[in-house]
Amino acid sequence: MTGNRKVYLKSIVCLGGNDPDFRSVLSPMEARRMGRLLKRAVWTSKEALGQAGIEIPDAIITATDYGCIVNSVEFLKAALALDDTPMRPIHFMQSTHNTISSVIAVYLHCHGYNTTYSHRGSSLESALLDAWMQIRSGEIETALVGWFDEEEPLCAESLRSIGITLEDRAVSMVLSSDGNGAVREIAPPFNSSDYVF
Amino acid sequence: MKERIVITGAGVVSALGCGKEENLAALEAHKSGIAPVRFLSTTLRDKPVGEVPVSNALICSRLGLDEEYPRSSLLGILALREALEQSRLLSDDKVGPFPLISGTTVGGMDKTELSFPSFSKYHDCGASTEAIASQFSVISSSTTVSTACSSALNAILFGANLIRNGLYERVAVGGAEALSNFHLNGFNSLMILDGQCCRPFDASRAGLNLGEGAAYLILEEESAALRREAPVLGIVSGGGNACDAFHQTASSENGDGAFLAMEKALASSGLTAADIDYVNAHGTGTVNNDASESAALRRVFKDNIPPVSSTKAYTGHTTSASGSIEAVFCLLAIREGIVFPQLNFSTPDPACIMPASGERKPVRHVLCNSFGFGGNDSSLILSRYDRQ
Repeated sequence: MTGNRKVYLKSIVCLGGNDPDFRSVLSPMEARRMGRLLKRAVWTSKEALGQAGIEIPDAIITATDYGCIVNSVEFLKAALALDDTPMRPIHFMQSTHNTISSVIAVYLHCHGYNTTYSHRGSSLESALLDAWMQIRSGEIETALVGWFDEEEPLCAESLRSIGITLEDRAVSMVLSSDGNGAVREIAPPFNSSDYVF
Repeated sequence: MKERIVITGAGVVSALGCGKEENLAALEAHKSGIAPVRFLSTTLRDKPVGEVPVSNALICSRLGLDEEYPRSSLLGILALREALEQSRLLSDDKVGPFPLISGTTVGGMDKTELSFPSFSKYHDCGASTEAIASQFSVISSSTTVSTACSSALNAILFGANLIRNGLYERVAVGGAEALSNFHLNGFNSLMILDGQCCRPFDASRAGLNLGEGAAYLILEEESAALRREAPVLGIVSGGGNACDAFHQTASSENGDGAFLAMEKALASSGLTAADIDYVNAHGTGTVNNDASESAALRRVFKDNIPPVSSTKAYTGHTTSASGSIEAVFCLLAIREGIVFPQLNFSTPDPACIMPASGERKPVRHVLCNSFGFGGNDSSLILSRYDRQ
């Protein structure tokens, strides 16, 4: 693997605090099985792929600074028997950080490389580096890279006390070896703040 | 010719003990570390677990730390220290700093369980990894892979890719995960915990036992390792990651993700299925995983399936740490020329491969499987080192 190809950002879609109309990409049945974070992730993924003119990417690489914290809190309350919250397996199943990347893979029927980085403010930098290396070396042609987090009041309060703001965020982008119609060429060092607007 | 990636240090803690030699002694004695809960404070006491046989207090006194860190981090510090020591990097001031890539999912959940509804400052994966990194001056930066039970193996693949692409000469890779009430109850709610010791690939298998532990490998460009006369334990020959894209917690009947991961690992190594001397299976002991993994193994190896065993019957399923713990076991298999027998196996299941009964034989190439929730399936091929 001695390839030294250029890597391009083909498309980027960002959601802040407001939600789009999920019905454009999800059936009512699909939407019922997903929490808000997952719906936002699938919506931005589908948008970014559409803008890049790609149906199924070669890789799905996801960054989440704090993971699926809403489901984690629901399950934790139940597991610690702090209130009458019943222990629901769905909250546990959808609490792991890789839930987002795997839900996108199931939605897209994508059997390619799939991974998740979760490292506070630098999760996206690792995700971009992973995608960049694989495209540059010729292992893959395209990657769907996402950065997703959700607000949760208990976790947000604890993080605030150590100076960290937990934000609602859904960003999806397509990286490609093909520069046609690209937003720009990208290369490390990657800085997360270059990928929000 | 492209430069090889070699392993120059390895450290492990599991229910079998602290360090490679304690773990090997238990594996060779066919001794399982699965037992009733001892250290985790929990009401769920009827499910046996694979706990690392040392308390947080004892680890802290050994390491000269106060007891602030989550257990995942403490286990991680023990394992990484062993790996760095073997690689002669703890005291080598000529080697520049390098990154740590660590896998975890539980992170500091055990600490948050004690303070909830307030979250521990070590709660998130990144904070628990940084606690490990902060103990070692040779570690310059860190990142965390979180793909549930395949986290550590995916950390190894990412680290190897960083070297292959020329970004670093060496990296520390692996994972750490301690038991928590959160995931013990989580797996229990999915009804996949066995009340007895797990029986991978056996017709009577009824689920997994959760375990805990940590393991790290030091990966280096071969020339860099030879330049500093580091010990070389093995070669990272190849790896593959694929997604089953079937279901959040169940594996597909044909083992599509597992099949693709193993095929990619073989392709990237330039080896053929016939070259593999031993497979350390994911083999959790659940009805679903073992049948699905067996289907994938039959697709890859056809009629010539090499010896296969799951060491989870010894350690329990160490979730995010399992990929690197089992990679260290693979290195021991290569070093000792040993195939670990399948513990707790008595009745073959037509849906499963026939696991290994154990033998001494030269082991040159080992395939190590690690699969996670969400169909995050990965395979790694490690090989015996021969100087070229």
